[in-house]
Order: sequence, then C-alpha cells, then structure tokens
Amino acid sequence: MTSSPNANTAPDTSSSPGATPASAIARPVEARHIVKRFGDLEVLRDVSLQVDEGSVTSIIGASGSGKSTLLRCLNLLERPVQGELTIADEAILFDRNRQGDIIGLDRRQLQRLRARVSMVFQQFNLWPHFTVLGNITEAPMRVQKLSRKHAIRRADHYLERVGMADKRDSYPAFLSGGQQQRVAIARALAMEPRVLLFDEPTSALDPERVSEVLSVIRSLADEGRTMVMVTHEMAFAREVSDQVVFLDQGVVGVAGTPQEVFDNSPNERCRRFVSPAA
Amino acid sequence: MNQVSQEGLIDWAGPIAEGALTTIEIAVLSYAIGLVLGLIGASARLSPWAPLRGLATAYSTAVRAIPELLLLILLYYAGPPALTAIANALGFAGNVTINGFVTAVGVLAFVQGAYMTEVLRGAILAIPGGQLEAANAFGFSPWARFSRIVIPGMLPNAIPGMSNLWLILIKDTALVSVIGFNELFFTIQQAADSTRAQFLFYAAAGVIYLAMTLTSTALFARLERYVRRGQPATEEA
Repeated sequence: MTSSPNANTAPDTSSSPGATPASAIARPVEARHIVKRFGDLEVLRDVSLQVDEGSVTSIIGASGSGKSTLLRCLNLLERPVQGELTIADEAILFDRNRQGDIIGLDRRQLQRLRARVSMVFQQFNLWPHFTVLGNITEAPMRVQKLSRKHAIRRADHYLERVGMADKRDSYPAFLSGGQQQRVAIARALAMEPRVLLFDEPTSALDPERVSEVLSVIRSLADEGRTMVMVTHEMAFAREVSDQVVFLDQGVVGVAGTPQEVFDNSPNERCRRFVSPAA
Repeated sequence: MNQVSQEGLIDWAGPIAEGALTTIEIAVLSYAIGLVLGLIGASARLSPWAPLRGLATAYSTAVRAIPELLLLILLYYAGPPALTAIANALGFAGNVTINGFVTAVGVLAFVQGAYMTEVLRGAILAIPGGQLEAANAFGFSPWARFSRIVIPGMLPNAIPGMSNLWLILIKDTALVSVIGFNELFFTIQQAADSTRAQFLFYAAAGVIYLAMTLTSTALFARLERYVRRGQPATEEA
C-alpha cells in the first residue's frame, strides 16, 4: 500500500476497464491520509486506501465505523477535511487554508471526475419521473453529452447486462427493490466509469431479492471491473474481493486479501467482527 | 348615464367577450411571470448564501402581508412618478407613463411570485435528498440538476398549490377594475349600470368566472396526472 509520488504524471486516458497493463502506474482511486469530521465528531482519522485497476475492494466494519463516509469521500459526496485523493489518475485540486485543511475544490474538475466514478446507492435513488430507460440515458446525455441515439444504444446494452431489458419503459416505482437496484447498476455502468462504487447495495432489499443483485455484482467483478463496495454481506465480500478493508472507529484496522482479513487477522476486533460466534 | 338603455345581454356580448379575453390575458401573463419569480424566489430562499435568502424572505413576507388592492393602487398612482424620477436621474428626459394593462400584470405577477415562492419552496424541500445526491454523484451541472431533477421532482408536490394560486389569480383580476381597465368585471359593471339589469349581468359574470375556473381545474387535473405519471396511484386515485 505504498503510494508512488509519480502517480499523476502519466494520466491514463483510456476508459475501458482492464485496458491498462498491471505494471503501469494506474490509479483508479487512491486516498491518502483522509480525515473527515462532522462537527466535533471525527468519523475518519487518517485513512489511506489504494484501489488497483480491475480489482474489487470491500470495505467492512461495524455501523459507525466510517465505511460509508469513506466511500462517499471517494466521489466527494463528502468533502474530507484533510488528505489527498486521486481519481482516475488525476489528483483532486483542493483549496486549503493555512493549516492545510480542505476548504473548497474545483467544481469543474469535480463534475468531470464524478462522471468517471459512478455510485450505486443503498436506496437506489432512481429518478421517479423518468422511465427506466430515461434514468439510464440521462447522465450520459447531460453530463457526457452523448447523442440520444448513442445513449439509448448504451442503455439498452447495460439493461440487457443486468437482465432488465423487458422493463425499459416502466417507471421505477413499479419495480421491486431488486429490480430498481439492477436498474441503478445499469445507470452507473452506462457512464462507462473507471470505478464503480457500491454503498451497501443490498441493505435495503428484501432477503429474497438480495441474490439477484449480488449475482449481477459478481458478474461485474468477473469481467474485471474496478469496484469499491461497502457491504455487510461477509460471505460475498470474501468471495469476490481482491482486497478487504476492515474499518474500525475511523481507522483501517486491517487491510489485505480476504484470507488475511477473514481467516487469521492479527486484529482482535476484526476477528470478532468477521466471526462473532468464535 | 341616467338614461336606462334598452340593451340586453346579446348587445353586450361583444364587449363582455373582449373583457373576458382581457381577463384571461392578464391572468395568463401574470401567472407566467409569477411562476418565474416564484422559481427565482424559491431558489433564493433555499440558497446557501444568507443575503439572498434574506432578500427572498423579505419579498415573500412583505408582499403576502399587503392587500393586492393596495399594491395595485399604489403602483398605479405612485409608479409613474417614481419611474419618471428614476429615468430623469439616469438622464432620460420626459415622463414615464404606465398603462393599465402593464400595471395590472405587474402587480398581480409580483403578488403571485411571492405566493409561488412559498409553494415551490415547500415542493422542492419535499424532494427526497437521494435523488439530488444521485444527480451530484453523476456529475450533473447545477443547471442540469435544477432543470432535469429538481423541477420535475417538485412538480407533483407543487401542482395542487399552483392550481390553487391560479384560481385565486383569476378572481383577483377583478381588482384591476378599480384602475379603470376594461377587463371582464369592469365591462360587466358598465353593462349593469347602463342597463340597470344588475342581476342579469352580475350573474352572467359569475357564470363566466365559473366556466374559466372549471376549465382550468380540469386542465390542472390533467397536468397533475402527467407529472405523477411515474407514481403508482394510491390514496388519491
């Protein structure tokens, strides 16, 4: 997890996942020494995270450990107070005060980079006034300035991918939670992002709907997409992840391969978290 | 005017139709301008910038507190001298005059804007935060977010209040008669006075206002169905 200072000098312009050789210094996402406070509450205390191209990272931890906040810092839905962030090989340009605290950022860069990091939310957050198709074409058309025709072709492709092609003209409110989440995944995929972020994608679903969403995510992992996921599905995290990060009270308790984190972690709190019965 | 004319409803049909048309023109124009003012006002009320919030709050509070009739008379009599003074100060010679139509539309739109500000503010606040967050997360510009997510997202909540404001506005156009402008109510008054058939003409006026409001209620109902197209019919259906 050492960071290279040269990370930003060789921007990689290709957007297709897996196109970069593993040896190149590609930085889909890298966070260094992130600190986030809400008022007096310090939610993240010096968290660093590096995500390799084509890898799946799961962030696990108890409620309140800061895992969703960390994920939301990665597309700046939450603005960290301190730290550095690289998204799609580009260092985020923060405005800082004299103490080095982050007080602002470059809106244009933010909009540009957010188009390269797509998020899937716990509550889906589909737009109810658009059809399924409209939900998926909206961002490519408005943000990436794709033609309607091109956006629709892309949307149909990803709807097929998540098995929702037959619902393309329905409105979200008429779909089950699992179906809505699959549409939300297609919406994120349609931006053809460098990184996909999942914020507890199955936590709001009925138990019998969880597997349909997990199987879509698993298939995305299998095709080598770069993903970062906050999840409570331990078995799933273990199965699909290349890297697991256990957050504990705002710091990284353990990070490593699933085996390192789940089987023989040196961190006692982590051992108790992943197998509470033991 | 002491002579009682023998004319009836038929003879006055032309002027009354013209008056009704003028009423609709005043109402539609003030509503459209009021809607724009309301969108600006609501955005300002929800702005993170305190001075803007203060200004919008002052506008919506003050205007809603003063009777429309008073504002109308105030602007009609005090408006031209004030504008003339401003124009002269800016180096334009001469007198500024405002005609009745512009005064009517101006005042009614200004008042509509204040009420609209509150209706739209509430409707915008009712949009689930996640929808706006999703727009942010996908890199929407502030304008794209406003036009594509905020406006369609708030309309289902805003339409009932907006429909109410429209009905009130149609009836408020009758106030314009005090500045002697030939809209429906003024024409009816003239007809009633000159024929002494007060009941007939005022009843006719009532029927015309009723026809206007019923038609627009039906239109608003269709509009509401359209903006709620993505929502399953529940309690209201």
